[in-house]
Amino acid sequence: MASRKSRPQKSAAPRRAAKAPASARKKSASRKPASAPRASAASRALTFPTLHDSVTSSGLKVVAAERGPLPMVSMRLVLRAGSANDPAGKHGLADFTARLLRRGTRLMDARAIDEAVEFVGASLGVGVGEDNLSVAITTPAEHFAQMLGIIGQLVREPTFPESEVDDARERAMAQFANDLDEPSVIADRAMVRALWGDHPYGHDVGGSARTVRTFTRDDVVAYHRERIGPKVAQLVVVGAVDPKRVAEAAEEAFGGWTGGPEERRIIPPLKRVPQAGRVVLVDKPDQTQSQVRLGGPGFRLGHEDYFPCTAMNVALGGGFTSRLMSEVRVNRGLTYGIGSWFDAMSADGVYAVSTFTKTESTREIIDVSLGEISKMRDGGIKPGELRDAQAYMGGLYPLRTETNESIASSIADMRLNGLGDDWVLQFRDRLNAVTPKQVAAVARKYCFAEAPAVVVLGKADAVKKQLKGLGPITVVPASEYE
Amino acid sequence: MRKASPKKAPARAADPALQSLFDVHEATLPNGLQVRLLENHLAPVVSLYTFFKVGSRNERPGITGISHLFEHMMFNGAKKYGPKMFDKTLESSGGSSNAYTSHDMTVYYDDFASDALETVLDLESDRMRSLRISDAMLASEREVVKEERRVRTDNDIGGLMDEELGTLVYKAHAYRWPIIGWMADIDAITREDCQQYFRTYYAPNNAVLYIAGDIDPKKTLALVRKYYGDIPRGPVPAGVVNAEPPQRGERRSFVRHPAQSPAVMIGYQGPAARDEDTLALDVAQYVLTKGEGSRLTRSLVYDQKIVVSVGLDWAWRIDPGMVMFFLELKPDSDPQKAEAALYAELEKLARDGITERELQKALNNLRSDHLRELGTNNGRAHALGNYEALLGDWRHVLTLPSAYAAVTSDQVKAAAAKYLIPERRSVVTLLPAPTEA
Repeated sequence: MASRKSRPQKSAAPRRAAKAPASARKKSASRKPASAPRASAASRALTFPTLHDSVTSSGLKVVAAERGPLPMVSMRLVLRAGSANDPAGKHGLADFTARLLRRGTRLMDARAIDEAVEFVGASLGVGVGEDNLSVAITTPAEHFAQMLGIIGQLVREPTFPESEVDDARERAMAQFANDLDEPSVIADRAMVRALWGDHPYGHDVGGSARTVRTFTRDDVVAYHRERIGPKVAQLVVVGAVDPKRVAEAAEEAFGGWTGGPEERRIIPPLKRVPQAGRVVLVDKPDQTQSQVRLGGPGFRLGHEDYFPCTAMNVALGGGFTSRLMSEVRVNRGLTYGIGSWFDAMSADGVYAVSTFTKTESTREIIDVSLGEISKMRDGGIKPGELRDAQAYMGGLYPLRTETNESIASSIADMRLNGLGDDWVLQFRDRLNAVTPKQVAAVARKYCFAEAPAVVVLGKADAVKKQLKGLGPITVVPASEYE
Repeated sequence: MRKASPKKAPARAADPALQSLFDVHEATLPNGLQVRLLENHLAPVVSLYTFFKVGSRNERPGITGISHLFEHMMFNGAKKYGPKMFDKTLESSGGSSNAYTSHDMTVYYDDFASDALETVLDLESDRMRSLRISDAMLASEREVVKEERRVRTDNDIGGLMDEELGTLVYKAHAYRWPIIGWMADIDAITREDCQQYFRTYYAPNNAVLYIAGDIDPKKTLALVRKYYGDIPRGPVPAGVVNAEPPQRGERRSFVRHPAQSPAVMIGYQGPAARDEDTLALDVAQYVLTKGEGSRLTRSLVYDQKIVVSVGLDWAWRIDPGMVMFFLELKPDSDPQKAEAALYAELEKLARDGITERELQKALNNLRSDHLRELGTNNGRAHALGNYEALLGDWRHVLTLPSAYAAVTSDQVKAAAAKYLIPERRSVVTLLPAPTEA
């Protein structure tokens, strides 16, 4: 299938399932209009299920939300054990450990786990982001307790058989090599390093060939022992199941769980974007197209700038009518996809732009993009443009309450980041309360007040001379990011 | 308007969990536009899908890719809402849209806040009635599509191999060329080609409208009549001839391209979506590659460690489609060994069939995936359209689980023995080449 729009946010444009990009391992995820009231598209009430809290005898916090009509249940155990906790020299260990959880426990080998989950039509996914490691199962409702028991086994009693560790390492090494053939994946990796440097968020969640090559069973066992336990976990269960049964089944599955840290590790904010004002040119000579990334500082989850920035970004690089999309794609035909976003994590965040264009127009796409961003920085937003952004985002926001999975993910976000239980229900009101003045203030702060870090992946021979004047250029071979 | 009549339902029984969710109202306007409406008030949002019965199978050499380029042009201005106004009006009303083109159809959708319904019907009917195609917009959009081709095909190994495989599996049928079209054809398509294409394929009698979500079906149908009722019916488009000759032996091709590892993509000529073997192949697909414990993943990835990953894509199509396998290998792997390991598994399937437990497991997963697909308004509206376009009736959304339940392991074995054989096979091998600076 070919499609009109791509959303090059975070990882890659949609591509064939046949060759999934390795970046799939990246983390999953009133009416008091300020001044001029309008027939708000965000006026109809949202429904959000009632949350039922309980705590297991081992201290695991549990939230249950009953929700139909489909006879399915989605459950997710989120642990504060993401890649920011990777030990020095062992980047990728959180992700590597997470993948091995399902390759054998005290009671079941990998084959038995796969069979138990997959026979009933459930699906098990393990995901790691910078902050969190999560284990999630979606299952037909009648098997919910059994599936919760399997999550319990995976986090409590994984055995990490030596042969499984060896095989996983070998598969990962092959995957790192093959990733070099995915231009957008390598560009994203280079961007993470350019934005975060030595910060705990400054490496790809999956690590690199250099670090993963050294992983041993002892590394994995130690990571599990030190980082995984009930005190840094939150269980969320959403779907066609009685909350009382959830509490009972959670006690059954996690009652005697011990170990892991007492509390989550505090990660410092980013002092400065290390490659700010500089250009990293990743050489991949076979390309007929350049991948382009621009980025600067953002903010942490729960920051007060969230709503003004969200509204601004819809207008600047979020929607299909955003300034970047309009200037770069619609008016000039320079790309198929361009987007910008604030990536907020628990300690800090960034603001980034992602796009691509044919080799010859690499400089032009950078200049046009930077021009639009500086226009926003200097001129702010018009009231009508802000109202349109609020209507757009407010109108579509209820889509996030449509599935058990998306609701479970919202609940985990609210609880882990202290966003408050009314986060979803209040979201549209808070968005609608943003004023042009507030947007102007955040635009001055985040729209590359300091020159951004620039990453270009492409044919360096042809691209380098185009990039003069953007800052000091460092050319690195793509293999640097294996 | 009439409620869905159980009389028209396919012979299979409807799944009880689904029946209550699918109280579909259907109607046909005098101009031939078909309408399906599905009420659901769980969230204050609506999804509207328009399926046009045209895709790359309706193209000819010289203008390949026009279905897809035209899909882009549908967003570039009509009589009432001019250039840029479609997205601007929709987004500022709390909605967003997208579209895709397949070999068989072109599909547009809007997700939006429920009080934007009338605005969306105005926007959608405007472009169906009176699309305006200007030379300037066509020139700019052509460049966008060329960038799309560069990112999906020219700079993507999977895309390059897929394009090669299409020309190998099909010799005469229009499935031979890529949906996005050949680069030179994208350059050659004219405004007149687009106008001709619009008149031929975008008439209301060649479209079906699906609206699912926070709506009142009666009022919604009245609005649909108001906005679409005056669009004139068009001529019935000519049918597509399937002149594909029988395949008489294995076909092979090689792609040399800078790459870290070799890779193999294999296509078997399969049946059309409506063929009775289709469901048996769906079950075979689940047994072979669904989940970590599936046969191919377990055998090739975990036990033999001969591939990094294995994928199977068996996508239903109007005319006979393709069962496609993809083997992602390690650097320095021998692609022939990986192929041999795959063929051994396929031969086993054709020889011994599957166990009752494997069959039950596949059915459980097919049902779970079906239910999950129906979790959103967008998913429901799309499912109705997709089943109607490919199987001939949206009611299959209700009856598929029971239709799968009737599949036997003998049927799966017979389907494997019929389709997954060397005589129906085409193989594309990626040979890593040194980079040309």
